[in-house]
Amino acid sequence: MQVSIKWLNDYIKFDETAEELADKYTMSGVPVENVIRADEGLDKVVTGRIEKLEAHPDSDHLQICQMNVGEKELIQIITGAQNVKEGQIVPVAMIGAHLPNGLHIKKGKLRGLPSNGMLCSADELHMDLDKLPEEQKNGIYILPADTPVGVPAKDVLGLDDVVLEFELTANRGDCFSVMGLVREAAVLTGNEPHYPEIKVNEDDAASAADMVKIDIEAKDLCDRFSARVLKNVKIGPSPEWMQQRLEGAGIRAINNVVDVTNFVMIELGQPMHAYDYDEIKGHHLTARVAKAGENLHTLDDSSRVAKGTELVIADDEKPAGLAGVMGGLETEVTEKTTTVVLEAASFYGPNIRRTSRSCGLHSEASGRFERGVDVTNTPRALDRAAQLLQEMGACTVTKGIVDVYPQPKEPVKIDFTAEQINKRLGTKLAGAKMVEILESLGFAIEEKGAEVYTATVPSWRNDCTYMEDLSEEVSRIYGFDNIQSTTPFGRVMQGRQSARQNFIDKIKHVLASLGMTEELSFSFTSTEMFDKMQVPADSMLRQAIPIMNPLTDDAPLVRTSLLTSIMENAVRNFARKNTDIRLFDVAPVFYPKALPVTELPDEVVKLTGLITGRRHPFGWNQSNEMVDFYDMKGIVEELFRALSISGYTVEAGEHFALHPGKTALFKKGREVIATVGELHPAVAANFGIKQKVYLFEMDVETLMKYTAKNFHYESLPKYPAIARDLAIVVDESVAEGAIKTVIERNGGKFFCGVTLFDVYTGEHVADGKKSLAFNLKFQSKDKTLTDEEADAGFNSILKAVEEKFQAELRA
Amino acid sequence: MEEKIAQLKAEAAAAVKGASDVAALNDIRVKYLGKKGEFTAILRGMGSLSPEERPKVGAIVNAAKGEIEALIGEQKKTLEAKELEARLASERIDVTLPGRNVPMGHLHPLTLTLERIKDIFVHMGFSVEEGPEIERDYFNFEALNLPKDHPARDMQDSFYITEEILMRSQTSPVQARTMQSNEPNKPIRMIAPGRVYRRDEYDATHSPMFTQVEGLVIDEGISLADLKGTLELFLHQIFNENVGVRFRPSFFPFTEPSAEVDISCVMCHGEGCKVCKGTGWLEILGAGMVHPHVLEMSGYDPKKVSGFAFGMGVERIAMLSYGVDDLRLFYDNDMRFLSQF
Repeated sequence: MQVSIKWLNDYIKFDETAEELADKYTMSGVPVENVIRADEGLDKVVTGRIEKLEAHPDSDHLQICQMNVGEKELIQIITGAQNVKEGQIVPVAMIGAHLPNGLHIKKGKLRGLPSNGMLCSADELHMDLDKLPEEQKNGIYILPADTPVGVPAKDVLGLDDVVLEFELTANRGDCFSVMGLVREAAVLTGNEPHYPEIKVNEDDAASAADMVKIDIEAKDLCDRFSARVLKNVKIGPSPEWMQQRLEGAGIRAINNVVDVTNFVMIELGQPMHAYDYDEIKGHHLTARVAKAGENLHTLDDSSRVAKGTELVIADDEKPAGLAGVMGGLETEVTEKTTTVVLEAASFYGPNIRRTSRSCGLHSEASGRFERGVDVTNTPRALDRAAQLLQEMGACTVTKGIVDVYPQPKEPVKIDFTAEQINKRLGTKLAGAKMVEILESLGFAIEEKGAEVYTATVPSWRNDCTYMEDLSEEVSRIYGFDNIQSTTPFGRVMQGRQSARQNFIDKIKHVLASLGMTEELSFSFTSTEMFDKMQVPADSMLRQAIPIMNPLTDDAPLVRTSLLTSIMENAVRNFARKNTDIRLFDVAPVFYPKALPVTELPDEVVKLTGLITGRRHPFGWNQSNEMVDFYDMKGIVEELFRALSISGYTVEAGEHFALHPGKTALFKKGREVIATVGELHPAVAANFGIKQKVYLFEMDVETLMKYTAKNFHYESLPKYPAIARDLAIVVDESVAEGAIKTVIERNGGKFFCGVTLFDVYTGEHVADGKKSLAFNLKFQSKDKTLTDEEADAGFNSILKAVEEKFQAELRA
Repeated sequence: MEEKIAQLKAEAAAAVKGASDVAALNDIRVKYLGKKGEFTAILRGMGSLSPEERPKVGAIVNAAKGEIEALIGEQKKTLEAKELEARLASERIDVTLPGRNVPMGHLHPLTLTLERIKDIFVHMGFSVEEGPEIERDYFNFEALNLPKDHPARDMQDSFYITEEILMRSQTSPVQARTMQSNEPNKPIRMIAPGRVYRRDEYDATHSPMFTQVEGLVIDEGISLADLKGTLELFLHQIFNENVGVRFRPSFFPFTEPSAEVDISCVMCHGEGCKVCKGTGWLEILGAGMVHPHVLEMSGYDPKKVSGFAFGMGVERIAMLSYGVDDLRLFYDNDMRFLSQF
């Protein structure tokens, strides 16, 4: 909704500037988004007469003007324009002017002669060129000869209007009209409004009721349908003042009849429609639901097939318009029209909304119906339109209004007490103050007892039904700023978050401390991503939920895996030449219980990580090694330590997106708690990735299940440990993890830890063999161990690994 | 003899003085004072002296040895000091060379912002509640007084899974879920942070997914004044004590009265700039007194209790806190961006 200050001023005067009024509107819940000034930049542009004009001695196109701008002295301006003559009055930009096109006017010299301003063209003043005669579009704008000299140009150019652009909320249908905004302005400024006198002279002997018949078939979708018939209609342009008002409201002038219906819609908030009477078959209009398959031929000359839910206004043959959205082409008012049926009706908002959305047609009318119109307003709107056309001499008005209004609306009454409202607002306002505010807004108040009232809601306020609504009216006019702030924390309540939320927070902090950076990714994915990731055809991950109305075709599914998301982010980083990446993501994925979806899916929080690139930051004193599988595994091991997850096993495993020889499964018993591995070279190729990428994936709920509830420290040893190194040669295929398990099980009671410190193949080790070196530690809590006791443990371990793995002690 | 000793002593002293390093000094010690050294040789050769002279010469030799010993000690100290000095000089490094970087990981700026928001509210006694991201239309809209075909649904274009199930367009459904899981009229002080989804093109200020924090307080006698006080407290903590806060009447279907909450522009301090579009104010929160319908639909009695609700975008607060001017930076996950936080 936008409206010019001039239009408001037609009905109410105020001293506030446009900006001040806009602020009052905004702070009372009628937000003004923009104040648009046509005179922006015209502050120092005045009218001036060319007293003397002579050619510039050093130029063949410049002219020297001596300008009378209402000051004692003439001022000299050099112009390049060729359309000026002595005696003409033109707009003059004075020194210091800052024109709408951004030009600053400064003192200057042109070919050696001083110039103290600029003569302006229409374009430079931001005038609407479409509305100007051809000869005024180019060159300096020539003002009428009787224009006074030395006055602000904006005043004589009609550029002094200011437009308020409202961003109205969905509940305030009543403010979608000049009347509604004037009503608010009256309350906000305290000034008296003057509404136009609506008075129509039924000067045609014919009776409307004899000419046209109106029926409402769909009573739930149409509360009221009123019509007037105008005869002897002369189609032509509407007067200039009306065109100006409409322009200020952002509506193009078309012809007098259409302009008047639009004018009344903006003025009173009641959408209207004009039909060519002679094109209405049977001179009979019915508000009914469209028949499925029926053809809807609208004003925009497009044909639509009715779904069977749309409300239409039909004549005896076919729909003559989509009710409240757009009129029909066949019954449109044209230059040939001589008799007009004017419609003013009240349609059911939700239905209009559905139709306008499904047809993609949003009009000024549909917007008003969606928010609800004042059902009592239809006769007034018809009278106003007839009056305006009659005043233009464009028609005669037949007798009476054909008004179908099956169930007249009862005014809404709300009981309230001052105490209720004060309690809701946290205020101590007197009942009288509330009454004053509500009455100023058009509510009728009846006092039932001491500060006990009944309010009758004005017909235009469809949004008020409860005491709570009245509390809003009182508070918005009293001013939110005037309400003293308090806090509700008298009751002690425990602030907390769930154990799961704490666990997730801990995971994030641990990973960040391990050098991993958190990403946040969209929950969307696509079949293409599944293909790139080599997700098997029968995997449940492919059972992703489709979105009915995805934003783009690239991401039509809800993700079932975080791996697709983290890969997208890695690829984006690669594309930006960030090749050292360490990312992690904690977020839910969505598993449908069945497809198509009938109930809410399972939301499972996953944790995934990705590293690639250099192990150390690039720099003069850093090695240039790249990360490998063991960097990733180390991060996972450290994370588990921090989360008090222990007693897991690690074994080689498989994952569709990972290198089959470089994939590890962390397990508690048989349950996989983490998968770690190198990105499968084929997957890397699918993404165009040339360097090695390592990933992990876990399920947060599973991790949570295995995290120790309580953490206890281990007491520090009082007696020294004895260390023994064990270097053995085994077949290359023997897993270190298996050897370690055997070591741990056979170390005897003093064994307290093993660290692998060397893995070697090559010279001095036979082909197909590898050498592993372990540091073994033995310790007692009660005494200093003897060498013999340590040796016993060592020998037991050696014996076991020799037996199990045919290990040989390395010389 | 004495003369020979004096000569030897002078010679040794000169040698000591002339020693250029500790190793040479050691050689000198061996040469003169060692078991096979020259003074020792003199002592050994005393057999040829008369018994009267022996003690005398012995005393002279020992005195000379002592003196040389002392000289060596002194010279050693000098040489060691010199050597230390030379070593320190040779060990000088360029301390302006960059240190060896120990790379840190980084939490996402939205996580950092959300942690601050949660902290403030948890300290005020709010619990942190959660709800599903794929949600029923009923909880997302209807239980919030937004029946189908309500024009306010246009404010949010949602991603639908079916006619009845959608990707939640706000965290407000957690309100209804929390109320419905409670005993009727049980006091509530909660926030619900989380991802929400809207069919918005991805640009500098919009994203199809973003993060919201919903808040709800219900108790006996909760008023609009309480809403103001609570949100002022929050905004002063998350921004700063001096930030201006204003409440504008507005409309949300689930609250009555409703308010938009603005803060004075954190960029220009209210003077008007590009960020605040010249108004000096920035919209930061939507809030209001819970609509009686919303309470009723979730089993609370609006005659007994009242409450307020609020909602805010975490991205918006993060953008203002960190001066981020393009929302996409949060979801592009560029390492160069993320590692600044």
